[in-house]
Amino acid sequence: MTLADRIDRFRAVLDEWLRGLYHGMISHPAYEKIEQEAEDVMDTFMLACFPDAFGIPSPVSYYTAELLPYLDDEFEAWERRMWDRGSVLERKGHQYHF
Amino acid sequence: MEKFVFFGGKGGVGKTTVSSAYALKCANADQQTLVVSTDPAHSTSDVFDQQFDDDPRPVDGVDNLHAMEIDPDEEVEEHLMETKRALGDQVSPALVNEIDRQIEMAHQTPGAYESALFDRFVDVMRDSDDYDRVVFDTSPTGGTLRLLSLPEFLQGWIDRLLAKRQQSVKLFERAAIGNQEPRRMLDGDPIIARLQARKELFEYAEETLREQASFFLVLNPDTLSIRETERAVAGLSEYDLAVEGLVVNRLTPAPDDDEQGRGARYLRDRVATEQDRLATIRSRFEVPLVAAIETRVAEVRGDLLREVAAELDVSVAPDATASD
Repeated sequence: MTLADRIDRFRAVLDEWLRGLYHGMISHPAYEKIEQEAEDVMDTFMLACFPDAFGIPSPVSYYTAELLPYLDDEFEAWERRMWDRGSVLERKGHQYHF
Repeated sequence: MEKFVFFGGKGGVGKTTVSSAYALKCANADQQTLVVSTDPAHSTSDVFDQQFDDDPRPVDGVDNLHAMEIDPDEEVEEHLMETKRALGDQVSPALVNEIDRQIEMAHQTPGAYESALFDRFVDVMRDSDDYDRVVFDTSPTGGTLRLLSLPEFLQGWIDRLLAKRQQSVKLFERAAIGNQEPRRMLDGDPIIARLQARKELFEYAEETLREQASFFLVLNPDTLSIRETERAVAGLSEYDLAVEGLVVNRLTPAPDDDEQGRGARYLRDRVATEQDRLATIRSRFEVPLVAAIETRVAEVRGDLLREVAAELDVSVAPDATASD
């Protein structure tokens, strides 16, 4: 093995480690935050669609009902998220890794 | 005169009679005419002495005239079945029950009936290529007004939903790490496709109502009816839908001059009051009075309907403006 090969290998390992470190410290939490934000927006969407799930009558539930077959997993997850959420802080708190 | 003509007004003023008479007039003027009853208490069948249902059917003995009676209950049922079928195709059996309940509930809310009626309305308007004129005999004022205001109201709502959904899906796409598949994608998202289709439907409805529809209000010469009509005109103009004419129905016929009996005196008094009210209507409304129809002894059908049709001073020509 020549010196050049060994330098290449070392650089490859270093590269992988650096990328992993960056991913773990910077990008992964960021993606998580974006995903949670996406879920929050989805919650608002679902609440606008199905307020009657919480006893608020909706004049348009007739139209939103036809969306339900495509929202199966989201609907259940959403209902659970809505019932479980103690406060805004509780969910927002998940975003920070202390 | 526009292609779609709506007759509305307080309950029991004779909307069905007037709209049937008008449809007859159009048909006799060689226009392919469809008369659509949207009143849950259908009486078109009684006027033409023939049973109608949800599909347009030719009226016996009258050329060029078809009639149909919209049944929202059937539409609600169909929508429910369709949604459930989609549910069966999409959702794992374990979840079906949970969501099924939600769907059933949605079809029992008070809004369901109106939404279904509205959908049928739009369907009829869309499939009306075979006709030169479609006459709608609508349900009493309140219901109709709500129905006609639906597109604007729903458009705003659907825009908001669409924006939220798109925003959320975009965030999901962005959150996908590296080559990982995002949890949701904009392309081929069935929700966005559905919402988009609904949006187009409402836009079509709004445009058609604004540009290709004329509205007439039927009223009786009594104070209640006049007040309600005033509110209806105001309500419709709030949605930028102009009322083109008023039809006063059920005027009392005057007795001959030489009659002096109790009945004649009663009639004379009534006629005088009604003439007063007619004057009020003429002065108070900006909308022209297009017909004043006397009350008939018998039910208005057959030949009587023809007579009433002749009294309607509403133009039937397709593109001319309404006469006054």
